[in-house]
Amino acid sequence: MEIPYVVTPRKDTGLFNSKIAIWLFLASEVMLFGGFFSAYVFLRLGADYPWPERTLPVLPGLINTFVLIGSSVTVVFAWASLKLREWRKFQFFMGITVFCALIFMVLKGLEYNVKLHHQALRLKDYSVIEGHLGYETEDDKPVLDHKGNKIEENLINIEASKLSFNSVRFHKPWVEEFLTQAEHKHSKITLSADVSAITHQGQAPEVIAKAGEPLSIELLNRIQKTHLAARSHNGVIRTAALRDEWKKAKAANPDKRDWQFSDGVNIDMAVVTPQLLGEISTVGFTVEPPAHFDFHPRDIKPAATQSRLRDDTVVDGKLLDSPMVFHHIDAIDFQHLAMKAVEKGIDPEVAIENSWLIKSSPFAKQAWEWHQGEVAKLKAQLLKDYGADKDGKAIRFPTHKELYRIGWKDFAKKSEDEGRAKLAPADAFKEEFFGPNYEARGDETFPGLSVPREQIGFESKFTPAWNPYYAIYFTITGLHGLHVIGGALVLAYYLFFGRKMYLSNPEWLANRVEIGGLFWHFVDLVWIFVFPILYLM
Amino acid sequence: MADTPEAIKKSVRTYLFVGAILFIGTITTVLVATVPALDVGAHGFDKWDCILGLTIATIKASLVAFIFMHLNHEKKAVYWLFASGLCMVCSLAGLTALALGDPIFDRFFYSGH
Repeated sequence: MEIPYVVTPRKDTGLFNSKIAIWLFLASEVMLFGGFFSAYVFLRLGADYPWPERTLPVLPGLINTFVLIGSSVTVVFAWASLKLREWRKFQFFMGITVFCALIFMVLKGLEYNVKLHHQALRLKDYSVIEGHLGYETEDDKPVLDHKGNKIEENLINIEASKLSFNSVRFHKPWVEEFLTQAEHKHSKITLSADVSAITHQGQAPEVIAKAGEPLSIELLNRIQKTHLAARSHNGVIRTAALRDEWKKAKAANPDKRDWQFSDGVNIDMAVVTPQLLGEISTVGFTVEPPAHFDFHPRDIKPAATQSRLRDDTVVDGKLLDSPMVFHHIDAIDFQHLAMKAVEKGIDPEVAIENSWLIKSSPFAKQAWEWHQGEVAKLKAQLLKDYGADKDGKAIRFPTHKELYRIGWKDFAKKSEDEGRAKLAPADAFKEEFFGPNYEARGDETFPGLSVPREQIGFESKFTPAWNPYYAIYFTITGLHGLHVIGGALVLAYYLFFGRKMYLSNPEWLANRVEIGGLFWHFVDLVWIFVFPILYLM
Repeated sequence: MADTPEAIKKSVRTYLFVGAILFIGTITTVLVATVPALDVGAHGFDKWDCILGLTIATIKASLVAFIFMHLNHEKKAVYWLFASGLCMVCSLAGLTALALGDPIFDRFFYSGH
């Protein structure tokens, strides 16, 4: 069946079908992105913390803007070439368009990768430290987890003597990690006592596992299977018994409502218990000799003697020093601390001088003193350039960020002021994409720092978890990136598989390319707003 | 409507010109945001920087919409569709702003301060 109005316009609208359709779709896309942009506005206006303005590197976003604008031009040239029946030119321009989409996604991937590996930490006093964590090493060699990956120096350390697993909820990868770490520490994890349970109604308990059996996934699975079978069986018996009790109670209280006699409805455990099978909800193991285990902070709720993992595993043992160790810090941010100080009526400068970071880190103290010198210079410069009002107050003054944040470029400048050579232009250019070059700039510029666990308020990488700014940043740019991929796939389809249609019905192909181009222009249009809003404001 | 080969050939020059304007607009946006000497309003980011940045972005977006997306010579049906989307977004943002501006609004309602 021939679909009408794919080339000839409809009489009522004067348009061919797909044009109406794409504009309907674009109207819905305007709603989608409009919703997210308005969410950005309300998140920013309502933020109760210092909004991270102008902290993203501009260069990758700028290059992406040029790439998308260029691809918008080439896609319209591709359409024009089709209308003029110039197939080779169409292929050329469409090829550039698809290539630009690829460049865009590669740059976006680089940006995301840098953020996902960059560590942020907010201390309990609201100072913020940014940088990269070190990796656990032993004898200068990296320690690997059970999957063979390096482990970041951000672990909760416990000298464990006993482990107690929840027989239903135990998490297999964590059990494997226990086994890997125990083997590494030459320790054995064995069953503390015999595990026995009634497995058949009316019979004597059966030994499922003997004391001393080594921990394994197979052992836990065996116990889990028995427990779940018993739980299911017991559930049926208890439910039936409860139903009986309700029936009896309802018969005995015909004039009353359920809630009036519900307190007296109880299962007679003396009758039910002989019918029940043995449930084994937890399984205890001994660690001999007691071994030092490491846990990721988000997986465990540490306590002095008994810590609990998220899968309900209980770790009995002494909580050891568990610092978070930065291999390099590249930013110190007191904006939030200053904001909290002002709320409490304290001078921010005094609050900063009394912060843990300034008191404990000579580097941070020196950097802060240098930074105050730079702020004084900036204030003097602004006074000189813009003058003062009639009360003698400077008309322009440094922003909150300039007053209280020391970014990596400030550390680099400090280092250069102290005599360190500037980076080569190519290396400096790469820093705009990948962040500071720690090796080239040296440990004196970006030193390490060990932060005691008790000082840590909240930590994460630069991900949506860090703050609503990064949440909305990843949402908007991620959704936009998916649209770039979708649009590029459609355009690539026309490029690689359009020849047949071009030979049979070139006007139809031209119309399809026009429609694809309209979507592409919309994607460019969204980025035209995304770039200044997220990167420049 | 750019349908005839002659009209399309003429449009090609327009597309190139608009493309150049978009590049210049992008560079301008970055310069006014990053060069201190070009900072409007108070020092650092303030409402004037926001207005300027969004004005440049709107001009660029309008060029893309009117020239590249052919909205300058489209049919009424398309104008109705696009305008309805824009109106819906403005209502979304506007009504939310009205709700936030309502004296009864309490931002700590759910967090219980």
